Amino acid sequence: MLEVKNLTKTLPNGRKLLDGISFKVKKGEFVGILGSSGAGKTLTLRCLNGLLKPDSGSVIIRDELDRPFDICKINKRELRRVRQKIGVIFQGYHLVKRLSALENVMIGKLGQINTFRSLFYGFTDAEAEQALKALDKVKMSQLAGSMTGNLSGGEMQRVAIARAIFQSPTLLLADEPISNLDPSNAKTIMKMIKPLSEHMPVIGVFHQPEMTAKYCTRVIAIKEGQIIYDGDPKLSNKRLEEIYGEELELIEQQEHLLAAIAK
Amino acid sequence: MFSFKRYRKFILPLIILLTVTEGAAVICGATFGKLFEGLYRGIAFFGNMYPPDWSAFSEMLEPALQSIVIAFLGTVFGALMSIVFALLAASNLSHPWVRAVTRFLIGLERSIPEIVILILLVAAFGLGAMPGVVALSLGCIGMLGKLLADIIEEIDPLMIESIESVGGNKLQVIVFGVLPQIIPNIISYTLFRFEINIRLSVLLGAVGAGGVGYELDYSFGMLQYHRAFTAMIIIIAMVFGTEQFSYYLRKKLKMEGALK
Repeated sequence: MLEVKNLTKTLPNGRKLLDGISFKVKKGEFVGILGSSGAGKTLTLRCLNGLLKPDSGSVIIRDELDRPFDICKINKRELRRVRQKIGVIFQGYHLVKRLSALENVMIGKLGQINTFRSLFYGFTDAEAEQALKALDKVKMSQLAGSMTGNLSGGEMQRVAIARAIFQSPTLLLADEPISNLDPSNAKTIMKMIKPLSEHMPVIGVFHQPEMTAKYCTRVIAIKEGQIIYDGDPKLSNKRLEEIYGEELELIEQQEHLLAAIAK
Repeated sequence: MFSFKRYRKFILPLIILLTVTEGAAVICGATFGKLFEGLYRGIAFFGNMYPPDWSAFSEMLEPALQSIVIAFLGTVFGALMSIVFALLAASNLSHPWVRAVTRFLIGLERSIPEIVILILLVAAFGLGAMPGVVALSLGCIGMLGKLLADIIEEIDPLMIESIESVGGNKLQVIVFGVLPQIIPNIISYTLFRFEINIRLSVLLGAVGAGGVGYELDYSFGMLQYHRAFTAMIIIIAMVFGTEQFSYYLRKKLKMEGALK
């Protein structure tokens, strides 16, 4: 389970980027965070695995032995240990382009294996087999040996999901995992992420209300650094207008366009 | 009609440039008269060197090989040290203080010519290949260290975050996130530096590092001009051969995707 309490982040000029963000997420939930550009969605997500330190607040995560850790307060060594169990699927699939798909999947367990062994790419056969199985789950095992830079956007994102599966995390974060994909690839990726929420809480930042309505179990909407909605993923037009304001028209246009292309 | 006003912005700088150049030439005594006189003497001297002494060819092969080995070892050790220096000098990986000190050392090394380093090293190690290898290795750090450090700083920060986000430590970030991304640059710049080091190894040979450069210097010193000509032919073949080898290797690696 994950508990976020009162996260705040303020710029030196006094502009509040995060203003008292609080929520709890438990196993079985697939939470979609929505909001217009610059609302604080990605910042919130980055606070959840310690890539960004908030000015105040806490992010409590529990390890396998159910011990609580506050990500905002632990030291670097402990943070590395906690991160071993937090899977992240980044916006723009930040994989190492000059490594093979299989090697990129194996990176998922870097924090969990002996450093000396890992420096020489000394993964065991069992680990390689597990990584291949993870690639197989996202239907990418045939391309295991391909250089990641040569893969398409959808394929790269599937490798990123395989990496998260191989890491066997207790929490999965996804930062705009379908932003750069066409509608059919976006659907495939969402279908692959959804079942993972049966084993761990999954929190994703999205720009597609249609997708969150279809695949997420809950939606949190952020506006100007504050949570303005937390509940059912199916949002009314009025609610969407409240979340996106003037941006809504653009999103609707985009979604219609994408739906037309998909047909 | 010619208008001075129209061309003023070109004519004035041109006159200044010509005056300064002429002044500089007079100060250092580099006049056209001397240039033609020297050219004439040079051609006459070259005539005296001809034909090359082919009997000396076989005894110069070993020194030529020694020059290549000095350049090779200097490049390999230099490239390895440069990678370490580059990692320490990159702002996205290193502590600001470590970065500042390393950047200063790289800059300091770049400001000292290899030949000066060699003269200092000859005093420490004595004559021979060893000071040559060390001088060329240190010479690499100034160039490769800086180039690679700049390239590392350009790496997408999210690539580094991606390794950190799974609990990877600094060493793992370097091995998995940084090195695979800069390997094409390492190969390409190291090959380029090897070409430079081949030329430098000849030069350093004449100052005391041994090899074919020493043979050339020795032949001139003993007024054995035909022998010196042979050494020159070997040096030209060596430099040309290395450039061709480097070009071939780059092409092959590019074809196999290693330099993509």
